[in-house]
Amino acid sequence: MIKIISARDRVMKLFGGEEIDRPPCFSGMGNVTAEGLKELGYKFASIHLDARKMADSSATTYKLFGFECGVVPFDLCVEAEALGCEINVYAHLEDILYPTIKKKIIHTEDEMDIAIPSGLQHRGRIPLVCEAIRLLKKDIGGEVPVGTYVLGPFTLAGQIMELNDLLKLSFKKPDKVGRLLDALADAVILVAGEYEKAGVDYITVREMGATSDVLSPRVFKGLILPYLKKIFEKISVPSVLHICGKTNDIVPFMAESGARAISVDQKNDVAESRKKLGKEARIFGNYDPYNVLVAGRPELVRETVRKCVNDGVSAVWPGCDIWPTVPPENFKAMMEEIRKDGR
Amino acid sequence: MVTEDKKKELLERLKNAVIQYDEDTAKEAAKEVLDVGMNANDAIFNGLVSGMEEVGRLFEAQEYFVPELLMCADALYAGLDILKPHVQQLDLGVKGSVVIGTVEGDVHDIGKNIVKMMFDVAGFTVYDLGRDVPLDKFVEEQLKTDSDLVCLSAMMTTTMVGMKKVIDDLRAKNPNVKIMIGGAPVSQDIAEKWGADGYAKDANNALKDAINMISSLKKLKEEAEARKSR
Ligand code: B12
Repeated sequence: MIKIISARDRVMKLFGGEEIDRPPCFSGMGNVTAEGLKELGYKFASIHLDARKMADSSATTYKLFGFECGVVPFDLCVEAEALGCEINVYAHLEDILYPTIKKKIIHTEDEMDIAIPSGLQHRGRIPLVCEAIRLLKKDIGGEVPVGTYVLGPFTLAGQIMELNDLLKLSFKKPDKVGRLLDALADAVILVAGEYEKAGVDYITVREMGATSDVLSPRVFKGLILPYLKKIFEKISVPSVLHICGKTNDIVPFMAESGARAISVDQKNDVAESRKKLGKEARIFGNYDPYNVLVAGRPELVRETVRKCVNDGVSAVWPGCDIWPTVPPENFKAMMEEIRKDGR
Repeated sequence: MVTEDKKKELLERLKNAVIQYDEDTAKEAAKEVLDVGMNANDAIFNGLVSGMEEVGRLFEAQEYFVPELLMCADALYAGLDILKPHVQQLDLGVKGSVVIGTVEGDVHDIGKNIVKMMFDVAGFTVYDLGRDVPLDKFVEEQLKTDSDLVCLSAMMTTTMVGMKKVIDDLRAKNPNVKIMIGGAPVSQDIAEKWGADGYAKDANNALKDAINMISSLKKLKEEAEARKSR
């Protein structure tokens, strides 16, 4: 008999390689909903700047819909900001706009040899995210796992310098880019360590900038994978490597990174990836968070859960952030459908 | 007079320089084109641009990825910079100008940059507003530059709705301007619903549609003027 006492228990057992009753349905990426914000009366722009609001907003996805995790933060600017970039949260607008980098710190090739500021882990919003993790743990941590994410070194590099330049230099001056990625890997390790201290249950490394929609598998393997390995070696809690978009050709490399699980989106053919990687590999995915969960009808929402499971995912997990405008009935339908597999 | 063989050789060199993203060779070959007195238009279209067409094919076939594409574009621009001052008149049937940018709240600009490149290649005057562009800025820039075409890019379903505002605003201020939208979440359906004149799923189609739109626009203008003068 498999005994699962909570959603957290199920996820932790999955990461630990133990047998579980059914795949969990959770995420390692942002999953705040407009419905949750409405409940709390918070503006989207405000929840990135206040630990309490960040934690509360995150918890609503579990509380309202039974989603099996709590994840903070919601944007991709935390590390870049700690490194010295300026961000924009669009406080003047009512619409849901995700924070972006307003001012980068590297403008020319010569500025690429950066030193990681001392005490990086205490800069910018990193303490705020740590506080949000602690609050979230206190609130729902007994029932569901609490996760967070960091950027992969290449995606982070694209946040602190012009992406066009980074892409070209990956070809023209791979050594130079390699040195930057190495430094950024150190930064990511520092930040991840701080999140671990705050008590997070699992950490996702988001390296979407290195998707095969943009970069060739060859460059991924040669230039990026070594630094991902360096990071995963240093993360002690369960870890996930996420890359969205086209990933069929790079899943073997992703699996080599040392992450406890890999995460892919709807563009990945999971049945094929499962064949490539074998029974034991933990593959999370590949639920389409927009075209199905937001724009689909509840029947499609349910069928897609079935398809993910039948294709062989280890966890039903959205391919990117849950999109805030998800209709409540769709979210509920997704959770109902996955629970049918339990017992 | 330049021989046919020499001409062929230079065109081939220009083309390969673009495909092999070799800026130096592109520059050298472009200079030689001028030295031997070969026609600059010919060198641009049958050399550089024809190389870029092949690059587009390699990109679609996933032999090339975005970095390669950007480097090929650099090689093309390197040749173009040298040849352009010597072009009598770039004649594509139309001469157009375009305002392009990624809408407010959206920093995804890889796709936009590729579309922009196609317009550059085709000899359009391009006003690139960059990414995360405040919605009013599009209207302002169009009025300031009197461009034929405004191209909006968005990669997110949330920022995409900003396009509708820009379209409405542009229409109110300047009913004649052509508007084209694109980016992964955008579709033909949405373009029609929001009253854009065009949508394209990739950069090649964007350019083809744009040329068609602008020629029809020019025709309308000419007809109107002909009527006035009658
Ligand atoms: C790279 C990337 C990033 C980079 C962007 C860097 C940059 N400078 O561009 C970074 C890391 C910064 C980023 C950030 C975010 N991202 Co992002 N990102 C991507 C990714 C992986 C690739 C996009 C890309 O460049 N594709 C390659 C280019 C060549 O294709 P393209 O853009 O579609 O362009 C072609 C056509 O669409 C067309 N086209 C484009 N524009 C135009 C315009 C006109 C007029 C025409 C005619 C045609 C046209 O022609 C182009 C050439 O063929 C996609 C996922 C994916 N694999 O697609 C997610 C994706 C776009 N991101 C997504 C999200 C959610 C985010 C974030 C909100 C995450 C967060 N929590 O903060 C932030 C947003 C920040 C912000 N406010 O903008 C989601 C959007 C989901 C949705 N429902 O809208 C996507 C789809 C991922 C997913 N699977 O869900 N991201």
